[in-house]
Amino acid sequence: MLCKRLIVCLDVRDGRVVKGVSFEGLRDVGDPVELAARYQREGADEIVFLDISASTEARRTLLDVVKRTAEQLFIPLTVGGGITELADIDAALRAGADKVSLNTAAVRRPEVVAQAAERFGTQCVVASIDARVERTLAETFAGSGAAQLQHEQSRSDVWYRVFTHGGRNATELDAVAWAMKCVSLGAGEVLVTSIDQDGQRNGYDLELTGRVAESVSVPVIASGGAGSAEHVIDAFRLAGADAALVAGMFHDGTYTVSHVKQRMARADIPVRLAGVFS
Amino acid sequence: MKVALLDYGVGNLHSLVKALELGGADVCIEADAERALRADALVLPGVGAFGAAANRVGPAADSIRAALEGGLPCLGICLGMQLLFESSEEGEGRGIGMFNGTVVRLSGRRVPHMGWNQVESSRDPLFVGSENLIAYYAHSFVAPPAANADAIAWTEYEGTRFPAAVLRNRTWGVQFHPEKSDVAGVRLVQNFLREAGQ
Repeated sequence: MLCKRLIVCLDVRDGRVVKGVSFEGLRDVGDPVELAARYQREGADEIVFLDISASTEARRTLLDVVKRTAEQLFIPLTVGGGITELADIDAALRAGADKVSLNTAAVRRPEVVAQAAERFGTQCVVASIDARVERTLAETFAGSGAAQLQHEQSRSDVWYRVFTHGGRNATELDAVAWAMKCVSLGAGEVLVTSIDQDGQRNGYDLELTGRVAESVSVPVIASGGAGSAEHVIDAFRLAGADAALVAGMFHDGTYTVSHVKQRMARADIPVRLAGVFS
Repeated sequence: MKVALLDYGVGNLHSLVKALELGGADVCIEADAERALRADALVLPGVGAFGAAANRVGPAADSIRAALEGGLPCLGICLGMQLLFESSEEGEGRGIGMFNGTVVRLSGRRVPHMGWNQVESSRDPLFVGSENLIAYYAHSFVAPPAANADAIAWTEYEGTRFPAAVLRNRTWGVQFHPEKSDVAGVRLVQNFLREAGQ
């Protein structure tokens, strides 16, 4: 049986792993090569490097980090952030990435997704979608109605708007429709991040994750908001995610990868336990 | 032992090179198939698409098959396993033809089949120490050999059972990525080197 994946995301800036809320107050967390190796030992199923460097030069630093990481990492490595054209993808893969995630570039030039899938294979291409909930007028004015009615409406009357440039720029795209479009272009996975939940530590946006998961025919990765093992379990159980992306809650040592995986196993979620490998 | 890693021109070979080196192999990355055959063992990596790779390998298909029939140890990974077959629904061109059969599209609700999946236990020496292997898969096509006996391990995904590994002579093909399957996968690569050295 296919296991549910626990993916650890590392935000990398100028060659160091950093952590912060909404890019504010970035704090140095450590060396990406060492951290990736540590998470692999703890049982992480995949590692994602998200490059949040500001300059082109710093991006070259990332390729060096990818190269050094790949030499000791025996689980898949995805690189995202700042990838705009095929040459960037080629460079990332040659440096040692197994997949790349495309976000702003895909919105700006959707043909990049198709070209990347054709040249490198669909399994290399992750469509990364940042989205924020939008409420329609009907729901805004439903406040005086019965609570039950309001609940039903809140399900049907919200939609999710796609944002680019690290969540700064709004688009007119609907996240579910955009996810389907990305898959039709050749994306092999969809990584869906809730901007509302990101960094909040009170759980993934299950509505957003669920809507995308039931609409596309490729694996869906839940992202943004994980603060506990329960949140991860909910993403699998309630939203139908195939993988859960986790960042902050491991960096500060609140939880370990193996702790979360053991909790998953106890909740009868198919999972790869690191112990099997020792 | 000198191991040639055939390079089809795309993708990441770092982890595979490192896994082979950890097993004591002297690895050379070789774009020319004929030259690759001079090594003690051949590895066909698992990155790219069938059509493009067959384009590269196709002209040398007959000499590769002859070398493998003659006993050159070979490990084909993912696409590399599929290249050992005659043809593929994924793209034009002919494969090496070491295994009879055509590579077909995997059916399922979610394709590609991405992630860690159980490999049904196999007694083949390749799997020594990795009997309950949970391996990393990333593929949309599967390679069922015409001769069922060529399949030495199986995996199930969404109701479809497909070959996780095949073997003929000293040529192994694995549909998963051992170089991405953590410690157990690296052990499998080392098992291959041990078998190849005998």
